[in-house]
Amino acid sequence: MRVLNARRVGAAVLATATAAFMTGTVFAQEMTMWVRDGTAANAGKVLVDLWNESRPDNRIELTVIPNLQMVTKLATSIAAGEPPDLISLDLIYMPDFMKADSLVDISDEAAENPNFDKVIDAYKDISSYEGRTYGTGFAPDVSVIAWNKDLFREAGLDPEKPPRTIYEIHEMAKKIAALGDDTYGFYFAGSCPGCNIFVTSPLMVAGGAKILPRDGEDTALEGEAVKEVLQVYRDMWTEGLVPESAETDNGANFVSGFTNGNVGIAGTGGFVIPLMESDFPDLDYGVALLPGLEEGQVSGFVGGDTIAIPRGSKNEELAREFINWVLTDEAQLEGLAKNGILPVRADLATDNKYFADQPKVQVTAEALKVGYVPWVFHFADMVNSDASPWINMLQRAVFDGEIDEAIEEARERMIEIAGE
Amino acid sequence: MSDIPLERGAIGVSTRRVGTRLPARVIVALICWLVIAIMAWPLVMSFLASFKPEAEVAAVPPDYLPHSFSLQSYLKVYGYQAGLPTYLFNSFMVAFLTIVFCLVLAVPAGYGLARFHVPFKEVLFLVLLASMMIPYQALLTPLFLMFTKLGLTNNHVGLAIIHTILQLPFSVYVMRNAFEGIPRELEEAAIVDGCSPLQILGRIFMPLAMPGMVTVSLFAFIMSWNEFLAALIFMSKETAFTLPVLLTGVIDSFYGSVSWGPLQAGVVVSVIPCIAIYFLLQRYYVSGFLSGAVK
Repeated sequence: MRVLNARRVGAAVLATATAAFMTGTVFAQEMTMWVRDGTAANAGKVLVDLWNESRPDNRIELTVIPNLQMVTKLATSIAAGEPPDLISLDLIYMPDFMKADSLVDISDEAAENPNFDKVIDAYKDISSYEGRTYGTGFAPDVSVIAWNKDLFREAGLDPEKPPRTIYEIHEMAKKIAALGDDTYGFYFAGSCPGCNIFVTSPLMVAGGAKILPRDGEDTALEGEAVKEVLQVYRDMWTEGLVPESAETDNGANFVSGFTNGNVGIAGTGGFVIPLMESDFPDLDYGVALLPGLEEGQVSGFVGGDTIAIPRGSKNEELAREFINWVLTDEAQLEGLAKNGILPVRADLATDNKYFADQPKVQVTAEALKVGYVPWVFHFADMVNSDASPWINMLQRAVFDGEIDEAIEEARERMIEIAGE
Repeated sequence: MSDIPLERGAIGVSTRRVGTRLPARVIVALICWLVIAIMAWPLVMSFLASFKPEAEVAAVPPDYLPHSFSLQSYLKVYGYQAGLPTYLFNSFMVAFLTIVFCLVLAVPAGYGLARFHVPFKEVLFLVLLASMMIPYQALLTPLFLMFTKLGLTNNHVGLAIIHTILQLPFSVYVMRNAFEGIPRELEEAAIVDGCSPLQILGRIFMPLAMPGMVTVSLFAFIMSWNEFLAALIFMSKETAFTLPVLLTGVIDSFYGSVSWGPLQAGVVVSVIPCIAIYFLLQRYYVSGFLSGAVK
C-alpha cells in the first residue's frame, strides 16, 4: 500500500506540475495581427508601433509569418475559428479569400470614410468582390526595371537613359555582356514563378497583352507581346547575355542577381531601394518603369499587401478602427512615408515632403499608378506553384525554344484552372 | 603511428611485409580524409561565410575566404523579432518535452510488444509503423482544430505532443527491438527472484536497453529541433516560435530571394546544439544503433 500511495502522490505532483506549466506558457490575450515577411513586415512594424504609442489600452501584437507559409497558416486558423484580429495579406490572394467568405465585409467603412476612395486603384479593385469591400491597401510594392549605371558607362551607353522597349533591353544587354566573361546584360530568375509574374508579365502587359483568365470562358495569354517578350528572352539566353545560373534560380538570387553588380539590367521591385541603401551603398543604379514593345508603353505589377479582418476575429470593432486609421494622413505620412515606405493613398504617394528629394521612390510611386494587378481566382495554381502553366511556359519557351507550343499549352491549362 | 602496422602484423592480421602495406594504409587514410572533407566542406563554408558582410556573402561567383570580418549576419539573427534567446529557449523546451513524452510512451509500449502476449501483436505493430507513412502535412489541419479546442496551441506542451506523435512510431520500433535483444534468461532469472513485470522493466530491462533509449532521445531531439511546419502552424506568437521558424523568417527576403548572410549564421547557430548533443552521447549512439535499429 505504501508503494501505491507514494506512486499516487508522485502522479498527482506530476499532474499538478504539468498543469501549472501549461497555464504558465499560455500567453495573454490582446489584439493580434499577422503580417508576412518583407516590405509588409516593415510597414506593419512602423504602423503598429505608431498605433500602440497613442493607444496603450488597445495594443496590437504583431506577428511576422514566413512568406511562403502565410496562406496555409491563415486558412488553417480561420477554419479552426482562431484567426488573428487583423491580417496583412499578399493582395493576390484576396479574390480566393473573399470568395471563400473568409473575410469580414467592411463596405460600411469604405462608404463612410472618404480616404478609402483615395487609395490606389489596384488595391481598391483587388479588395472588392461582387460590389462589396473586404479590405484596403496596406503595404504597396511594385515592379520596376533597374539598371547598373557603372556598367552602362563602361559599355558606352548613356547611364541616365534606361531601356524604353524590350528590344532596347536586348540591344543594351548585348553591349554590356561584351564587357567581359563575368559581366552579363540581363538577369531573371528562370525557375521562380512569382518573380516572373512580377517583373516579366508587365513587359507583356505594357505591350498590350492580357495574361490571366478570370474564369473558364475568358481568354489568356492574348496579344503579340507575350510571344515577343518570350522571343527576346530566348534570344538573350541563347546569346549568353544571361548568366547560366538563371535557369535553375528558384528565386534565391532574384535580388542578388542584380545587386552583385555584374548584371546590367534586371526587373526588380520597389523594395530594392531601401535594400540597396543599407546593404549595397556603393552600387550606382537607376530604376524606371518596365517598358513594352514601343516607346511610351509602360506597366508594372502592383504587389504588396492588403489589410483585412479574417472572419472569426475577436476584436472586430477595434480592427475596423485600425483599418480606418491606417488610411489617415498621420499613418500614411508619419508612419509609412517617413520611413521610406510607399503610402497606399494615391494623393499622398508621390506628393509628400519625405519623397521630394528621392527620385527613385518617385518612380515606384508612378509605377503604382500605371501598374496592373490580375483579379483572378486560383492564382497559386495558375502562377505561383512550381509546376504552374505560367512558369512552364516561360521555361519551355526560353530554355527549350518552343515558344508557340509553350504559349498554347499554358493558355489551355490556365483556362482550365480558371474554370474550376 | 608507424609502429601500428607492425603490431597488427605481429598478431597475424596480415603476413605481408610492412613496406607493401604502407601504401594501402595511405590510400585508406586518403579516402577517409576525402570523405571527411566532402562532408565537412559545406559546414566549413557556412562557418566562414557567416562572418562575411552581406555584399560579399551574396557574391556570384563566391569567394571562399572572407576578405573582411563582420558580425553583421549574427547580429541580424540575434536581433530578429523576439530575439534569438527566446527562440532558443522555446526550441530547447519543446525538444526536452518531446524526449520525455517519447520515452514515457515508447519504453512501456516497446516492452509490451517485445515481451508480452498481445492478441494481433504483429498487426498492431504494422499499423503503428504504417502511420509513419502518412505525410503529416495531411494531419496538420485536423490536429490544429482539435488542439485549438483543447487549448494546446501557442503552448510548448502542445507542440511537444505533436512532435511526439510524429516521432512515436519510430521510437516504439527502436524500443521494441532493443528489448527483444535482451536474453530471455535474464528475465526468467528475475521472475525466479520474485520480480513483478514492472520491476523487471525498471531494474533489468531499462538499464540494459539504455543505448536504445539514448537513440530514441537523440532522434526525438533532432526531429523536434529541426521541425518547421507544425511549429509554425501551432504557434501564432513571435514569442512562441521555435528556431526553424526564426531561420525561415530571417533568411526570407523578397519574392523567395534569400539573405545569404543570416542564412549561414543561422545554420551555424542551429547546428551547434546538435553537434554538442551528438558528441555527448556518441558512444551510446553507435551501440544504440546496433542494439536497436539494426537487427
